[in-house]
Amino acid sequence: MKKLLPYWLVSPYILYFCVFIAFPVVFSVVLTFHSWNIISPMEFIGLDNYIQLVNDRLFWQALYNTLRFLVVHIPLQIVVALALAEFLNQKIRGQAFFRGAFFLPVIVSGVVVTILWQQLLGFNAGILNRGLTALSLPKIPWLEDPDIAMYAIALMATWKNVGLYVILFLVGLQTVPVQYYEAADMEGATHWQKFRYITLPMINPTIFMVVVLSTIGGFSLFIEPYIMTEGGPLNSTLSAVMYIYKQAFQYYHMGYSATLGFFFALLILGVVAIQKRYVEQEV
Amino acid sequence: MQKLGLIAGVLGVLMGGCQQPQTERPLLFWCSNNAAEITFAREFTNRWQREHPDQPLRYQPIPEGQSSEEIILASVVGKTTPDIYANMWQGSVEMYARAGVLVPLDTISGFLPFLRDRCDSSTIREITSSDGHIYQVPWKVNPIMTLCNTRLVNGPGLTGPPYTYSSYLNAGKHLTKDLNHDGYTDQWLGYTEVKAIWYQRFFNFYPLYLAASNGGSLVSREPGQPARAAFNNRHAVDVFRFLQQLYRNGYYSKERQSATRDPFLDQRIATSFTGPWQVGFLERYKDPRLQYDAWPMPVPDTHTGPVYTYGDPKNIVIFNTCPDPRAAWAFVKTLIDEPGDLRLMELTGQFPHRRNVDTDPYFSDFLRKNPKLLPFAKQTQYIRGVDNSEVIVEVFDIISQEYEACVVYDRKSPEDAIRDAAKAVDVLLMNDRGKDQASVF
Repeated sequence: MKKLLPYWLVSPYILYFCVFIAFPVVFSVVLTFHSWNIISPMEFIGLDNYIQLVNDRLFWQALYNTLRFLVVHIPLQIVVALALAEFLNQKIRGQAFFRGAFFLPVIVSGVVVTILWQQLLGFNAGILNRGLTALSLPKIPWLEDPDIAMYAIALMATWKNVGLYVILFLVGLQTVPVQYYEAADMEGATHWQKFRYITLPMINPTIFMVVVLSTIGGFSLFIEPYIMTEGGPLNSTLSAVMYIYKQAFQYYHMGYSATLGFFFALLILGVVAIQKRYVEQEV
Repeated sequence: MQKLGLIAGVLGVLMGGCQQPQTERPLLFWCSNNAAEITFAREFTNRWQREHPDQPLRYQPIPEGQSSEEIILASVVGKTTPDIYANMWQGSVEMYARAGVLVPLDTISGFLPFLRDRCDSSTIREITSSDGHIYQVPWKVNPIMTLCNTRLVNGPGLTGPPYTYSSYLNAGKHLTKDLNHDGYTDQWLGYTEVKAIWYQRFFNFYPLYLAASNGGSLVSREPGQPARAAFNNRHAVDVFRFLQQLYRNGYYSKERQSATRDPFLDQRIATSFTGPWQVGFLERYKDPRLQYDAWPMPVPDTHTGPVYTYGDPKNIVIFNTCPDPRAAWAFVKTLIDEPGDLRLMELTGQFPHRRNVDTDPYFSDFLRKNPKLLPFAKQTQYIRGVDNSEVIVEVFDIISQEYEACVVYDRKSPEDAIRDAAKAVDVLLMNDRGKDQASVF
């Protein structure tokens, strides 16, 4: 009986794991070989879903859109968050206020923030364009131009999430031993040299964590384009997750949606593995 | 082992106790969850219960959710469907019919004669499923028409409605204005949602296509022939070109207006493609100086014949979980006989899907008292629903993608956009056929 006690103790989690993690994962892999619209019986179709995926122009466009978002969003987020963390790491007046202010967008509902930005970015009545017009500058079709819309969303997403990464970087910066900077000062190192040769290598693990978190967060881009643009204009802001959602809950192509989701999960795992290999070594 | 047997026995008794015999439970009727339709459902359920105490029935507004379609789907999956559901979008019925969750109503005695008496043959043809059965009762319609601010559209230099494409574009030239000269347009000819969401095409492309083509189909379904896109024709091309010109010339706002106060009510737009529900809204909130009326959808300059439009039909179905479909049908009949239809109009301002609503003396008093609804009542003679196809949502989605590229962003010619959409729909229908065959064999 004593031998069985540990198993009894972990059994709730094992049950939870089996029901809510293992079963859904296995079921969705099984689904990738089926056609199923929820209400009709599942029908085995072999590799048809995978063949459809390869030929699905819209999925590849959604993936390209997501990558376009990531290419802007991740570097922007890291640079801005690191700059703000450096600023907040100094002994300045109102430090607590600024820390709270930068973190505030993180805790506000994503839907609320998105609607707010929609009003800011409107072409005619948007506050940003009103400002540009007041300065006699041309208006920018932030959400109406297919070449610009995704970048506008990346800008908004950066504003929304940067506070979280500022906190992480701030923690990282505060772990750097002061003695290193004192020694560098005695050697006459400039501010940039101290940042380049002391700060960056010392906060390497934090940078890696931020890169991974913002990559995974960026790949799961959904709320912003779903509310602001519904994936338009011309599918330029259709993200991969939004497309997976659309296939499942608009067309009820559960099998195909599971295939897209499975492929996408593997892709994210691959990207994170590559990041782990290179980012950890090179910074 | 004995213990296991005991537990199984107790569970069996408990579960058995939870299940009522099917025949004893009252029939469940789900109605829409807007206030007027709840009142309608309550009135008719109470009357039924008074007159048929041996056949208990209760009503319930459809549970809250993102959309009623989503709730119905969830209830089908969870096997918690009501027995009767009113307010089913006609385009969804084929999917449920194919899944085998609906009662084929034509197998109930008395259904077909009742239906033939109520509806014309084109309506019956439209609601007949691909397997030859009828799974839905045509209930109510809301024809989409052109609502016009009469003060604005009858201004100087304008011919006023009804519109052809040329006269409508001419109205746009006169009515699109920067009223306060600040560099921004303040008054447009009209507004219609620019986003590529499939159901938004019910308020622009689709009614215009039906008007131009005298009620043409999007998907052809000839007996013995494979289904194909039927809209690769000059009517669809003309509609895309017409809408493209409206945006290209700035007569329609590309910026979202629906997030603000209603632009028609606010007189920022002079015309609107909308249904009769807008009348009740305007009457309640309008400025007394706002004068308006409804006309048919704009048509090509060479158009002849009646002007069709989308009727936005919502129908009644009986799910096959219903223990007594005959009693359910008997109740449904009370909703859609003449007194039922009149009460629907009085309470909701929506129209029954029956022939001659505008000329039937039974309804004339109501229409005399509600003259703003009369054009919509007349329009009910010339309406269409959507084609009976399991993939009709995807068909509209494909058209929406091309609509956005051609009409809103001017990146494609109307000919290319319609041809590409038709090609994509053909591929979609081919895949759908493939699945059908696989499931048959």
